[in-house]
Amino acid sequence: MAAITAVGAYAPRFRITAEEFAEAWGHFQASGISEKAVPSADEDALTMAYEAATRAIEASDFDAAEVDWLGFASSRPPAAEEDLTARLGAMLGLSSTTARQTFTGSTRAGTRALWAGMDAVETAAGTAVIVAADAPHGDPDDEIDHAAGAGAAAFVLEANGPAELVDRAEYAAPYPGTRFRNTGEDETQGLGVTQYDRQAFTETIGGAVSGLEVESGPEAAAIQAPNGKLPYRAAGAAGVGTDEIQAAATVHELGDLGAASVPVSLAGALTDGYESILAVSHGSGAGADALLVTVSGDVPAKIAIESDDAISYADYLRQRGIVTSGPPSGGGAYVSVPSWRRSLPQRYRLEAGRCPECGALAFPPEGSCDDCGALAEYDPIELPGEGVIEAVTTISQGGAPPEFAAQQSQSGDYAAAIVALEAETDRETVSIPAMGTDADPSAFAVGDRVETTIRRIYTQEGVTRYGFKIRPSDDE
Amino acid sequence: MRMPDAYLVGAGQSDYGTFPEESYRSLFRTAFDAAVENVPKGFETADVDEAFIGTLGVGGRQLGLSGPAVTEHVGLDGVPCTRVENACAASGFATRQAVQAVKSGMADVALAGGFEIMTDMSSDATKYWLGVSGETEWERLSGTTFSGVYAQMASAHMEKHGTTREQLSRVAVKNHSNGAKNPHAQLGFECSLDDAQSAPVVADPLNLYHCCPTSDGAACALIVSEDVVDEYTDVPIRVAGVGAGSDTVGLFQRDSYTGIPASQRAAETAYEMADVSPADLDFAEVHDCFAIAELLAYEDLGFCQKGEAGQFIESGATELDGDLPVNTSGGLKSKGHPIGATGAGQVVEAFKQLSGTAGERQVENPTRGLTHNVGGSGGASVIHIFEREEQRSSSSSSGHRPQEKETEVSA
Repeated sequence: MAAITAVGAYAPRFRITAEEFAEAWGHFQASGISEKAVPSADEDALTMAYEAATRAIEASDFDAAEVDWLGFASSRPPAAEEDLTARLGAMLGLSSTTARQTFTGSTRAGTRALWAGMDAVETAAGTAVIVAADAPHGDPDDEIDHAAGAGAAAFVLEANGPAELVDRAEYAAPYPGTRFRNTGEDETQGLGVTQYDRQAFTETIGGAVSGLEVESGPEAAAIQAPNGKLPYRAAGAAGVGTDEIQAAATVHELGDLGAASVPVSLAGALTDGYESILAVSHGSGAGADALLVTVSGDVPAKIAIESDDAISYADYLRQRGIVTSGPPSGGGAYVSVPSWRRSLPQRYRLEAGRCPECGALAFPPEGSCDDCGALAEYDPIELPGEGVIEAVTTISQGGAPPEFAAQQSQSGDYAAAIVALEAETDRETVSIPAMGTDADPSAFAVGDRVETTIRRIYTQEGVTRYGFKIRPSDDE
Repeated sequence: MRMPDAYLVGAGQSDYGTFPEESYRSLFRTAFDAAVENVPKGFETADVDEAFIGTLGVGGRQLGLSGPAVTEHVGLDGVPCTRVENACAASGFATRQAVQAVKSGMADVALAGGFEIMTDMSSDATKYWLGVSGETEWERLSGTTFSGVYAQMASAHMEKHGTTREQLSRVAVKNHSNGAKNPHAQLGFECSLDDAQSAPVVADPLNLYHCCPTSDGAACALIVSEDVVDEYTDVPIRVAGVGAGSDTVGLFQRDSYTGIPASQRAAETAYEMADVSPADLDFAEVHDCFAIAELLAYEDLGFCQKGEAGQFIESGATELDGDLPVNTSGGLKSKGHPIGATGAGQVVEAFKQLSGTAGERQVENPTRGLTHNVGGSGGASVIHIFEREEQRSSSSSSGHRPQEKETEVSA
């Protein structure tokens, strides 16, 4: 069939504990979750997908330009209509001719993407990248929101490799009202008919697993986890014990990861070295996918899901934008979407230019050369995304351009720096302004090493613009 | 061929501050009337041959033809008017254009002015306009307005030269002390070093007292040629030096963050033209939009050695009774910063000091003063050096003045 040849996973740095919820609400409705990951104000399913997929590609032997097929899965893509794989592919540096597909509408979307990726590899015998990223979102007093975490996992699939997908099966049965979000609504809801919900969950999971033909006796079972209890209730239906479910569980520390729930658990189980892994998703409506993975060697992996950056419930509400207002209205400086688009090679891929006359670097690569003044066509050169801070400030309330007022009220003061980004060769640098992310503003000082990542920059006219920001370097 | 000299014969400004009852036209009229009023031997609106008006257009109230919108309002009927936009240096450059018009021989009398209204909008709407002169696509969208960009310069200066927050605060203390003596100042009150040190942070290391306010205001200056100067004054103030420079709009595109190369270029040109050195100056009005900007100016304009601006402010040299008083008007910090009016407003202070009408903040018998006006974070910079000449006899000249005006003056 197909095999997983590299893995990447990501979870945002913020964590909130069950106790914080209990203190705010008097009780915590998401059983079996001790803490969960919370996306920053500048993160969404697309940026988390970038984080996970870029890690999987780094872990693999592949150049991103060689990828033949991209699958992106999320129950909460940042746009309900727009093919986000175009932007995601550009962020990752995929070719414009790479085939791509989006999977959404269900927490089952992650395994649907894996399923389709297997088919793509089988028919085209190429390389597929599958990434599932999600951050569920419900009404603040609802169990779905209490459980909602955030995270992403990505897999590189090829025809052969150390982790073979040896079997798969799916099952569907109509169960309306278990978990749904009608068109135009922002909060995911459920009727909360306990026995009915459980029946939908166990029947579909049992149905999918029954469809598998390969006998396995898995060491780890990555089961859909809307909360910390439900996957264990499906142990019998899935034909596994609670230990096997526990072995792959991420829900207790990261919360409900929606369409990324099974993928992140699978990524973890692969990294932990289990040799036989059962992965079973469930999506409301209802349906399930069962996948069986047999591991015969080490799977290259880059996993970044650990963090101890605890936040309070008030911070949680701010970061999620629940207690903040939107951007102010106004006029003045304005960058049109077409102008923004022209800068995407720089925003996504750090494409600088080398002056053909004197060899100096330019970023952005336009206008006359700062070094020799020549007005020539720059030779494009991608920067690796490492550099040193040359000048920095912390922008406090009142000091931000209005484009960032909403983000600042959500995430607080931020660092804004000029960073000397390094070229691959020598010690050449080129300077560019960038916003700090992923750390307190005090973590950015002149002389500090930083690396780039991609985040939401701002939203204007309804269009969210993504681009690079900087964070303290991993190397330190 | 020798170019004729240009002279500053009158200058005036409106109060700077917040004026809900005033329009940009009415503020401009106040400034124009004051400039005319200050011409020692009288001035007629009809004398103006050419006008240059600086404004950024904050709020978008009249973005096109904003120059004629004010000159026609004050009765410069049909006089050619050019609007100059160089961000915060708009009317510094308008003044330079007026000097050029006179020195070229195309005009005998030129008006340089500027105006801005910044306080009649919600603070949210105002924010959209602050920093519009920064580099938009990269600098602004990294989350900075000018407070952030100047804070970055401060961070680099502190790192490289050991400049301290207290030295930044001393700029505020000094300029407020001067501004308290200027009836036109927007923030005309004194502040202690403690006040300046403990203000809320805007963009670290800059706090509120390290930042100038947003202001409404207007200012005008009248520049005339050597052929007609005697008809307006017996104490001519010559435009001895002019210098200007440009640079990349974004700070990140420059080789240095600890100085403003455009100001260095402008200063070099102006000193050379005036054939003077910084030691020959009796006072200076420099562009202190942020406290670090004044310190950078000390170095860029050669008032002190590179890297020593912090010690220079500490030495007291730039206080009103120091060797080289800087920002006797209160500067942008205390007098205010109505963007388009600021450069012409600095010329107003130079005029007052050199004509001995600066009141409580009068520098003792100055001969020579400099004005320094910066656009954005240094994308444009313009410098003028004004020099008071020896008193002349009151005889009328045979210049280009209309007959009736001469009669009126001698009457």
